[in-house]
Amino acid sequence: MSLDREFSGDGKELTIYLDERFDFGKVQDFRLAYSEGNEGINSVVINLQKTKYMDSSALGMLLNMQKSLNDSVTSFKIIHCRPQVLKILQIARFGKKFDIA
Amino acid sequence: MRILVVDDETINRTLLVNMLEQQGYTDTFEAQNGTIAIELAKRVKPDLVLLDVVMPVMDGYEVATQLKKIADDIYLPIIFITALENEESLVKCFEVGGDDFVAKPIDKVILAAKIRAHARTRLLSKKANEQNKQLSFYRNSVEREHKIVEHIFANALSVDKLFNRYLDYCLHPASDFNGDLFLASKSPSGGIYFLIGDFTGHGLASAIGALPVSQAFQTMSRKGLSLMEMAETINQTLLMLLPDDMFFAAAIVNISNTGKQIDIWNGGMPSLLLQDTNGNIVKRFPSRHMSLGILESHEFESEVERYDMTFGDRLIAFSDGIVELENPLYEMLDDDGIENWLLGQPDISVEGILDKANAYLDGMQRNDDITMVIFTSQPFEPLIKRGLISKVPVKIVIDLNAKHIQSADPVVDLLNVLTSQLGLCDFHSELFTVLSELYNNALDHGVLELDSALKETDTGLSTYFTLREEKLRTLEFASIIISVEYHPDESILAIQFKDSGSGFQQIHTSKLENIEKSYGRGILLVNALCESVEYTNRGNTVDIVFKI
Repeated sequence: MSLDREFSGDGKELTIYLDERFDFGKVQDFRLAYSEGNEGINSVVINLQKTKYMDSSALGMLLNMQKSLNDSVTSFKIIHCRPQVLKILQIARFGKKFDIA
Repeated sequence: MRILVVDDETINRTLLVNMLEQQGYTDTFEAQNGTIAIELAKRVKPDLVLLDVVMPVMDGYEVATQLKKIADDIYLPIIFITALENEESLVKCFEVGGDDFVAKPIDKVILAAKIRAHARTRLLSKKANEQNKQLSFYRNSVEREHKIVEHIFANALSVDKLFNRYLDYCLHPASDFNGDLFLASKSPSGGIYFLIGDFTGHGLASAIGALPVSQAFQTMSRKGLSLMEMAETINQTLLMLLPDDMFFAAAIVNISNTGKQIDIWNGGMPSLLLQDTNGNIVKRFPSRHMSLGILESHEFESEVERYDMTFGDRLIAFSDGIVELENPLYEMLDDDGIENWLLGQPDISVEGILDKANAYLDGMQRNDDITMVIFTSQPFEPLIKRGLISKVPVKIVIDLNAKHIQSADPVVDLLNVLTSQLGLCDFHSELFTVLSELYNNALDHGVLELDSALKETDTGLSTYFTLREEKLRTLEFASIIISVEYHPDESILAIQFKDSGSGFQQIHTSKLENIEKSYGRGILLVNALCESVEYTNRGNTVDIVFKI
């Protein structure tokens, strides 16, 4: 099942909604979500509101996304993390590379 | 039409009865004195009485008074038959309760006309009485039903006293039932959820939706779901249940276990206000969504706002019942009115605001329910009584062969056993991460012998994924043995993963210095989340200790 995503009104910001599990099973869905029809975006928002379970493959996917979009996208945000998920991101020091809110 | 004829003279009675018969009134009763008349009236319940004034023992005036008394609430016409001519006597006929009189000698046409006229009034009175009876029966049964429902509501919608030290709130219905709703619940992570809402209308009809909302809210709170899911689920429930013209404005708030961070979903409620310790309104959280129960799932938006409070800050939420209060000049209180009260008295309580509201009304009738809640940011005492964690030492061994590895998802199954059977719900997210890392390591690098370095690039990750699928599909002989020992006395889980692979070199990075590297991160997470991690047997066996 593909991930929900949404473009802002001006088409410059892409928001990707993860579901309950963000792990290796999402590799392809996640890649599709950020690479398809992404012309003109300069900001990516990862919404983790629904995410309860996350492992290091999710971290890898996030970093790969950043590497792949770095030329055009200047802002990478991760929003609405639950405390447990935030903990994982903090252990991995993701604050250095992502704007975590 | 039953007529009672009262006269002490037999001849007069016979005359009257004959006259009535000629006019078609055959259901007649005769009484020769007052006492008999009253007894008879009690028994036969006449529709009309023809009454002589001058009688021995008890005169007509006295009889009339008594007859009116026993007539209940239904109009009993009394017509005096009188030969008296002085005004005073005639006036007295009416004073004692008589309704009309016919002078002797009796004109039968006049008598018949009068009987018909009074019969009409009697009929109307009978109908009215019947309707009154039905009405009060109906009213009583409705009241009884309301009492029962009220009882159920009071139990289903009560707010645990536990929250009183954090949440100052009130619910004031405008009628017996409340279209307003206030619910609070603790979250599994030690925070608080609350919901303040307002169904269209008030009274029983609007209160009915409160039950499913409350049920859904409590269930989802227990699971620690996000506001997004809560809003979506409640919307879906109401969409299914409510008629089209009814909906539910609501604000749902999640306060994190720090007592500071708040998430807000506001659909159709007045702005929630954030007041700092100086009393200033530093932020408003206006309604960003339509009320619940209107939009179809695909149109529904569940974005939430997040805010970090400082201890002492207050979050104030209320239903429109208060902003729409009208004073005797028909001026609405409005948002400004409330904000001025808050500015004027920064530490005003909900009760204080209600006092002001009553003063503002100044005797005017309140038309809507008023609900209000104030949350003051503060450190939370642990709100959750630790779930019942099992006291029995348990050992679980999962022995997976190639076929199991291909088809099963042992991480989730094991997680379910640990969280539900042993009561380790508080740790479900962390345990998932640990188990998932260890299992993927054992599978990918142990059994499938995949190279982590592939994962470093976007395309490499895809290749990795394809390769993994391929290798997994063609896997013939393999084993992963997971053993979990639960030691309640030491509050630890000792977990071991053992795989049949040829071993791999564990990358030892004690700190996550280089997060650019897309691999090796997993074991760092495990290191951070566990008490100890130890690899043996060329990396084929890993032992970790997870502190409960």
